[in-house]
Amino acid sequence: MLARLFAGREDTRLAALLFVVLLVLNIALNPARFAPHNWGSVLGLAAPLLLAALAVTVPFLAGRGSIDVSVGPLIGLVNVLIVKGLILGAGIQSPLLIVPAALILGLASGALNGFLTSVLRIQPIVATLGTYLIYSGLALTILPSPAGSVPDWLRALAGPWSVLPVGAAVLLWLAVRRLPYYDLLMATGSDDRAAYTAGVGVPRVRFTAYLLAGLFAGLAALSLTALIGSGDPNIGPGYTLIAIAAVALGGVSLAGGIGGLTAAFLGAADIFLLQSVLTAFNVSTFVLQMTYGIVLVLAVCLNSEKLKALIGRRRIAA
Amino acid sequence: MSRALSSVFSNRALIAVLGAVVIFAAGAVLIPGFASLFSVRAMLILGSLLAIAALGQTLVMILGGIDLSIPFVIGFANVVFASLYGDGLPAPATFAIVLGCAALIGAASGALSAALAIHPLIVTLGIGTAVQAGVQIWTRGLPMGSAPQAINDFVSLGGSTGPLPFPPLVPFTLLLALAILFVLRRTIYGRKLYALGASPKAAELALVRPVALWATTFALSAVFAALAGILLLGFTGSSSAGVGTPYLFQTVSAVVIGGTALIGGRGGYIGTVAGAMVLVELRTVLIGLGLPEASVQAALGVLILALVAAYGRDQHIRNLI
Repeated sequence: MLARLFAGREDTRLAALLFVVLLVLNIALNPARFAPHNWGSVLGLAAPLLLAALAVTVPFLAGRGSIDVSVGPLIGLVNVLIVKGLILGAGIQSPLLIVPAALILGLASGALNGFLTSVLRIQPIVATLGTYLIYSGLALTILPSPAGSVPDWLRALAGPWSVLPVGAAVLLWLAVRRLPYYDLLMATGSDDRAAYTAGVGVPRVRFTAYLLAGLFAGLAALSLTALIGSGDPNIGPGYTLIAIAAVALGGVSLAGGIGGLTAAFLGAADIFLLQSVLTAFNVSTFVLQMTYGIVLVLAVCLNSEKLKALIGRRRIAA
Repeated sequence: MSRALSSVFSNRALIAVLGAVVIFAAGAVLIPGFASLFSVRAMLILGSLLAIAALGQTLVMILGGIDLSIPFVIGFANVVFASLYGDGLPAPATFAIVLGCAALIGAASGALSAALAIHPLIVTLGIGTAVQAGVQIWTRGLPMGSAPQAINDFVSLGGSTGPLPFPPLVPFTLLLALAILFVLRRTIYGRKLYALGASPKAAELALVRPVALWATTFALSAVFAALAGILLLGFTGSSSAGVGTPYLFQTVSAVVIGGTALIGGRGGYIGTVAGAMVLVELRTVLIGLGLPEASVQAALGVLILALVAAYGRDQHIRNLI
């Protein structure tokens, strides 16, 4: 498996290397926490960030400034709607209603973002910034302070069954990769003008990218709700910037056409494991924040194609 | 006359100015006291602070970049200025140190983005986070100190400038806007900025050096963000590393409402000033209508989308070929 990670795209190599180093460090520092019987809860802790990173990846792939900054607040809004609307309000406990509700809310947001960016053609960062404000405002209006609790089955999604939402996202992504849509998405992201000239419906491809982002954000919201076991309007929005940082670390190109699930998950896992290592050393949150900023800048610099080209040229000259 | 006007304002900037006037009129009708001297003065001060913070964002976006480090640099300047001045350093020296450090931070972001072809969003986010954390470590999370009296008077709600009933901040921002208008239109730096933003390839062939220009522009952005941070210290009275947080999205919104395109090569600072006023007025109207803070935010999101959908739309891909 490791060999495959390294043999894969060059862009994820650095993230994969960092992943291995951090994993070994983590296991050495804290063997109990990373023992096999704990894997479920460790994955449950990482799941919201993994899924949020996947959600922001898809619009990035579509290129020409496509970005979804509303992912974080959407996760928060879905969390609040599930807890306050369904569980507290309507007394609904069944997974058969709650899971589809989360996914449909995600899709609806994806459709809204897709409409604003692809049909109205508002610049993506402005459009999703608008929905960012709307979602975070709505979440705070519906539930001004943390409250509520969740049924046992949902709580288990952050513990022994945490593999379910993550696994669902992986299966969904593998299915997307087998569809012709995947090639159209990568073609649009690499060169949208060439793709359009070749007959690709570029606006439709980008619309669908936002739909997928919404769907993955819905799954992330389920994981987050399971993890915190209540409704909290303040946690969601923080996921936007950290997820964007994660995918950049993983090697997803913000210019489009490069990246995927492996890159998103590796980047997110790196950030999660980095936090875990630093917490084991009992450092303050400020040191954690600083390390994370420095690692992010260093990683994107080392990942830069231009740097590799510069070094390559020097080697040939020497 | 109309040609003269359109040379001063680009088209979209003109709409933003009109928007600021229309929203002011609507507010004056809807909300009692909206047009009172006190309320107008408060809006002008808040608008000026936002406009100064968004100056760099405008320049960076004309280049085709984005600067997410603005809120972190605002917090950095706010806390470091208060601490150094509180430790007994004279105000001018403190001022120079803070702005100098900010310039270095900005130049590093710009140079890295351009030299290694990394998206500035990631670089500024990473450097900004590290800077803010560094400040927090230095102050152990408990910022101390306050602003010198001169800065308090410069932004004070009760201040006046000679016969004008506004603190000096307001005329200062107006002068700044005129100066930037001149810089963008009549200096080599300004013309290079538009050239590189409109077409990086053509600009390089015209001997514009992208790394130098990006470093300079991001340094300017950080310097004005730091200035806004110091002025905010005078406005709020005490320092806090998180004081810049709202400015992350507000600067982007002000610039976009003002008609500067994120793809680069188009726009100007007059529009941004109008965009900042539009945002501050909208907020004041919504709060005046009795909405709670959270709903104000959501409504602001809807209004920004409506404004941009009305006049800030991109071209269809078929027109880009």
